[in-house]
Amino acid sequence: MAGIISEVTITGEIRAPRPPRPPARWRVTSLEVLCALLVLALLLQDWLVGVLDVPVLRTASTVFVAICVQAMPFLVLGVLISGAIAAFVPASALRRLLPSRTALAVPVAGVAGVALPGCECASVPVARRLMQQGVAPAVALSFLLAAPAVNPIVLVSTFVAFRDTPWMVAARFTGSLLTAVVMGWLWTRFGKAGWIAERALRALPEREGTSRWAVFAETARHDLVEAGGFLVLGGLFAAAFSVLVPPEWMQTLGSQVVLGVLVMALLAVVLALCSEADAFVAVSMSALPLLPRLVFLVVGPAVDVKLIALQSGAFGKSFAARFAPATFAVAIASALVAGWVFL
Amino acid sequence: MRRETQNVLLVLLGGALLKLALTGTYLRYVKASLQPWLVVTGVVMVVLAAVAIVRDLRAGGRGHEGDQHGHDQHGHDQHEHAARSTWMLLLPVLAVFLISPPALGSDTVNRSDRNAAQESKVASGFAPLPDDEVIPLTITEFVTRTAWDDSGSLDDRTVKLTGFVVRKGDDVYVARLAISCCAADASPVKVLMTGLDFSPLPDDQWIEATGRVVPGSATKETAYVPTFTVSGVTPITPPEDTYES
Repeated sequence: MAGIISEVTITGEIRAPRPPRPPARWRVTSLEVLCALLVLALLLQDWLVGVLDVPVLRTASTVFVAICVQAMPFLVLGVLISGAIAAFVPASALRRLLPSRTALAVPVAGVAGVALPGCECASVPVARRLMQQGVAPAVALSFLLAAPAVNPIVLVSTFVAFRDTPWMVAARFTGSLLTAVVMGWLWTRFGKAGWIAERALRALPEREGTSRWAVFAETARHDLVEAGGFLVLGGLFAAAFSVLVPPEWMQTLGSQVVLGVLVMALLAVVLALCSEADAFVAVSMSALPLLPRLVFLVVGPAVDVKLIALQSGAFGKSFAARFAPATFAVAIASALVAGWVFL
Repeated sequence: MRRETQNVLLVLLGGALLKLALTGTYLRYVKASLQPWLVVTGVVMVVLAAVAIVRDLRAGGRGHEGDQHGHDQHGHDQHEHAARSTWMLLLPVLAVFLISPPALGSDTVNRSDRNAAQESKVASGFAPLPDDEVIPLTITEFVTRTAWDDSGSLDDRTVKLTGFVVRKGDDVYVARLAISCCAADASPVKVLMTGLDFSPLPDDQWIEATGRVVPGSATKETAYVPTFTVSGVTPITPPEDTYES
């Protein structure tokens, strides 16, 4: 990929005229590479279909396409909101809206997550845009973690799935909100701005004479292209795990609560289920006690392979390498606290 | 990656989603209710790419007149970073247009031993069954009733189940997958078939099986898989939506 010349501009930016180039020199650009790849794929189609005609690979490829197809509408919703924030919401308005003390703004942002009805893919671009608009990282991260788990759609689907044990909804809400707030506070106390890739925090340049709609479209497009790639990467991992994780994992657990909690937390990470669907999966694991299943529901929307991929794309690898394990631990602890209170 | 390439990829991806949504193939991967959202998503992707292409063409036309928007030099380093991940967008495009993976089937059912008998439906009670001679039931409903309905409402009733053939060892099942959002959360529901010679039926063959439940066969010991004494079995073409919900 090193030979490919990249000439694209950053988010929201209007393209400058290209510097004049020596006209005679022909270069291989990504456009030619793409064409070559497409032609190659067409030529090799029969071979590809043949190779994938093994039950395991068929299942994995179906799950892969399913995860991508299912998540794309939410990602598009997220990038449209992100574009709208960039274009229409001035940074000063956000500052007025949130309490000036970060410690107070963190829980406010967590509760504000109720207003973003989507699964986790939508919240990553939005959180990143909030940071660029001058919202404190801790506050934006708290929103990022809370939004996929505490919005009405997820709570209703959890209620429908767990009709017999309605306390599950309260426990899930509490556990997820607690995770978001604790992570926000932890970031306030220990987080270093340097962990977040510089590109994620850079303020958008002021543009004069550019229509707001142009900014909106360009920001949304840029976020979609960038986050979309990472979403696909996450979907690939999740599909691989879905056929590689031995099913006995779930069966042998039974009443071993400690092991059950750990395994369910790991399963939530590798399966990368949509937060609107995970309750139905959890309810069908009727061999397990409620507590491990609650852990599954709290960990899933906060940290999974798809989210880790999206986060490392939006905020950089060194951020994701610290944030994901910390969130994992905090989410398990929060779920246990919520379970102790409610179940 | 060049901006032009990104736009081409976006058009391809949006086109792939539209193709799935408009041809009905999306039912292999997600729930039927997602269709309008897939159409909107596909259109938004294509429109965002089209807007960018048109603006680039216009900017290109004006380009020689002078540097009207010359403030993007710092953008390059940032973009290099994001460039490689964007290539991943090609994977779902190729998967949809070239490979078009099938709906999940027997392989998924055999990956797990659990039978998704829905405890949660017990609380809301069971509606009385119609008086018809043969009652068509979803496998989910059949399993749930045999496992949790103590009144024995299915005993001595002839039932018709629709599903595909699954083999595990010497046992032959009729099975379906239930999804609540997308194929990634599919959970199997299955019924053990007895009473006929099922050897001519290949795995994944869709069938309609009529027969009667063996009362009390769905217990904790059998992992809530009921036994079904089959009196007739007909191979059928797969339904458009292969999943139960």
